[in-house]
Amino acid sequence: MYMESVIECKNLTHYYGKRLIYENLSFSVPQGRILGLLGKNGTGKTTTINILSGYLRPRSGECLVFGENVQTMNPARRRDIGLLIEGHVQYTFMNISQIEKFYSQFYPKWNKDAYYELMEKLKVAPGQRISRMSCGQRSQVALGLILAQNPELLVLDDFSLGLDPGYRRLFIEYLHEYAKAENKTVFLTSHIIQDMERLIDDCIILDYGKILIQQPVSTLLDNLRRFTFTVPEGYSWQIADDKFYHPSLIRNHIETYAFLKQEDVEQELREMQVPYTELKCENVNLEDAFIGLTGKY
Amino acid sequence: MLKPILYKEWIKTRWYFLLAILVSIGFTGYSLLRVNRVIGLKGMEHLWQVMLERDVIFIDLQMYIPLIIGILLAIVQFVPEIQQSRLKLTLHLPYPHYRIIAVMLLYGILVLLVCFVFNFIFMSVYFIGILAGELVKHILMTALTWYIAGFTGYLLTAWICLEPTWKRRILNIVIAVCVLRVFFLSAVPEAYNSFLPVLIGYTSLTVLLSMLSVYRFKTGQQD
Amino acid sequence: MIRYSRLLLYFTIVVLLLWILPWMYNFLTARANKTPFTLYSSVIDDYAVLQPSDKGVVRKDLGGNVYSESEFDSILPMFYYRQLIADGRLPERMKGVELNPKVIQTENFIFRHSPDESNRPVIGLYPLLESSSGRVDLVMPEDVFHIDNDCIEFIDIKSNCVDEKKSQLFTKALQKKGFIFPARIIAGNPTTRKDYDEGYLLTDKENNLFHMKQVVGRSFVRKIDIPEGIVINHIFLTEFKNRKILAFLTDKQNRLYVLLTKSYRLISLPVTQFDPTRQSISVIGNLFDWTINISDDNGDEYYAIDARDYGLLKRMERPNNTVSLSEKIGGYIFPVRLTFTSLKDKWVKARFASGGFN
Repeated sequence: MYMESVIECKNLTHYYGKRLIYENLSFSVPQGRILGLLGKNGTGKTTTINILSGYLRPRSGECLVFGENVQTMNPARRRDIGLLIEGHVQYTFMNISQIEKFYSQFYPKWNKDAYYELMEKLKVAPGQRISRMSCGQRSQVALGLILAQNPELLVLDDFSLGLDPGYRRLFIEYLHEYAKAENKTVFLTSHIIQDMERLIDDCIILDYGKILIQQPVSTLLDNLRRFTFTVPEGYSWQIADDKFYHPSLIRNHIETYAFLKQEDVEQELREMQVPYTELKCENVNLEDAFIGLTGKY
Repeated sequence: MLKPILYKEWIKTRWYFLLAILVSIGFTGYSLLRVNRVIGLKGMEHLWQVMLERDVIFIDLQMYIPLIIGILLAIVQFVPEIQQSRLKLTLHLPYPHYRIIAVMLLYGILVLLVCFVFNFIFMSVYFIGILAGELVKHILMTALTWYIAGFTGYLLTAWICLEPTWKRRILNIVIAVCVLRVFFLSAVPEAYNSFLPVLIGYTSLTVLLSMLSVYRFKTGQQD
Repeated sequence: MIRYSRLLLYFTIVVLLLWILPWMYNFLTARANKTPFTLYSSVIDDYAVLQPSDKGVVRKDLGGNVYSESEFDSILPMFYYRQLIADGRLPERMKGVELNPKVIQTENFIFRHSPDESNRPVIGLYPLLESSSGRVDLVMPEDVFHIDNDCIEFIDIKSNCVDEKKSQLFTKALQKKGFIFPARIIAGNPTTRKDYDEGYLLTDKENNLFHMKQVVGRSFVRKIDIPEGIVINHIFLTEFKNRKILAFLTDKQNRLYVLLTKSYRLISLPVTQFDPTRQSISVIGNLFDWTINISDDNGDEYYAIDARDYGLLKRMERPNNTVSLSEKIGGYIFPVRLTFTSLKDKWVKARFASGGFN
């Protein structure tokens, strides 16, 4: 059918005014994968989603979805892209049956049952306007519509915004089950990283102006470790090695992250003649990994 | 794909539509009631005489009503689209972007047309019964300018609403105010007769301005 | 399409700027430009001028003589007759004519017309008053008429229906006198605020001139012979107190005429030209003379005319050479300007102007 990559962004460069967001950013998302885009505020997550969904023309570079440039894409191709915009925004002036009736006419593969199955759990009256619903209920409506649309690619912008833990969990479980069962491709962002760990296969971590890493989450969590050790009081450690991410010194404890095994770290520290004691090595979760790689500041 | 878009616009604006019809009919009815009172108090001769001698048309009250109805319709229709970037949803529909907007504007124009034609017929029926053709034409041609201003106000407000940045939106407001001012430069009845084709032509073209706003939205212009 | 959208936006901005910027400039710099009050005096056989100046009003004549207020009253006795009567200074006779308030009042008239009265929407319905009802006060009729391609129709106001009988009566009366429908000009003063009613002056399809009025419920139509080659273009029915003249008229060449009431004689006035669509006119008349002032952007022309034989007494011009510096500068800053309204008509439409402001 289409190329292996459902999304392919090449050499994206964008500025807001004179402020560079990123330069020559390239990535691709293979078919059937759930990819999470992680980054601190201001690193360009929303910019990327906007470029990807065709609502921002990058200064240079292009973004292909199903092999077509999103800016000039054949409108009918958008049937295969499900879009969840930040805050689960939908047409709040409609009620749940009106909005279903509206969208169903655009999508030949419309799966009405998938939508109403989810709606039944919400315990809202069919005539209740979406504007009168809670944020959690609204998120389910937005999700239900995307599931009914049954697109090949789902683009979700900050799906956890405003949701309490129960709805977050519900959203994630539904989405994950659906995507895996139907072999869908998902591209998403969230500011709550704990949620992502249950959901995503791959992650891209954005730092200011560039991609820090792109790899499967499992690979990341298998290889990235947190190391803590104690140094004599007053010792100052200049980072002279790019293998260690964001070492921080609090009193006489140093914390750092590296894609290394414990013995390799010991070797490195010895080579750098660091007077360390009590070296501890821990596996990390995704949130730790994100903080470790991007720093706390 | 016309039907679902019109359906959405209908759900958004149906209460406003009803209100617009009621309010405009109310104002028209009130003007006609005033005419009736003049007839009752001073007689039909007085009515004709005042119209002929002093160029009074008795419906001045309605002057800004179509304009207000048009502007409010655009607000009711397009503000929900731009709140929380909801326009992204609309433009994500599997249908050509500019055609979606064109259908939305067409819907608005139809709504205004229904509302305005309703009023026009109401006035015509009443006036044809009591006034000579020349006087009926005199009144309706004067009102026509105001009704065209309603369409222009609608289309310019849509353009303003859809514009993604505030800086540009304020510029658009200034331009729109100046353009709309042109429709209200003279209180002389029928003063616009020869200018109406130009105004109608320009008004039709202003559909294009909304497309410019959407283009700016699509390319990611923001504050 | 976006290219056209942008073009439309730029076009709109340019048009609005061409309109608003010159307007603002004019608003900030313009100063009132008043022409001094000028009236011919048969006492001194010269024009008397009231000139406002920094030191108050200066009263003088063209010869440079300056007058006091009461001297000024007496050189314009017909205009200031009430003041002269109050002062006991009204002469008993002047130029062999015995003067009394009633005569003066009857013979005095003021006629004014500005272009915007000609250039404006016309409804096309005309009330025809009863000219000799036997009552002192005029009353508005209960019908109005319009003239179609083949008849005149009277519409009864109460029923909003055509009065077939009256319509036929007048149609036949007009046709009998040779009126060829439709009418080109319909001129009258359909108001009760006048001393008497002369109905309407009409021109027909072939530019023949007719007088039509309603006398005791019946039609009065008279064809007025006018010299060959004159095509009447504008008619202003006067209905002045003295009943001497019926109307002022202009022809296609913008010559000004006066039509006498009793004889229906058309007399050409010694006025170079008067175009009612772009020039204003005022005629201030009395027993002895008329002062005709025709003004436009280029200035004012004055014609003093003998009230008895309509011969020219004295002519003067006051060209409008007072183009201010700001107006000249304005012409350079805004070589092209747009306005929608004009003082010379009641229409709203786009009008482009270039050159200096005026």
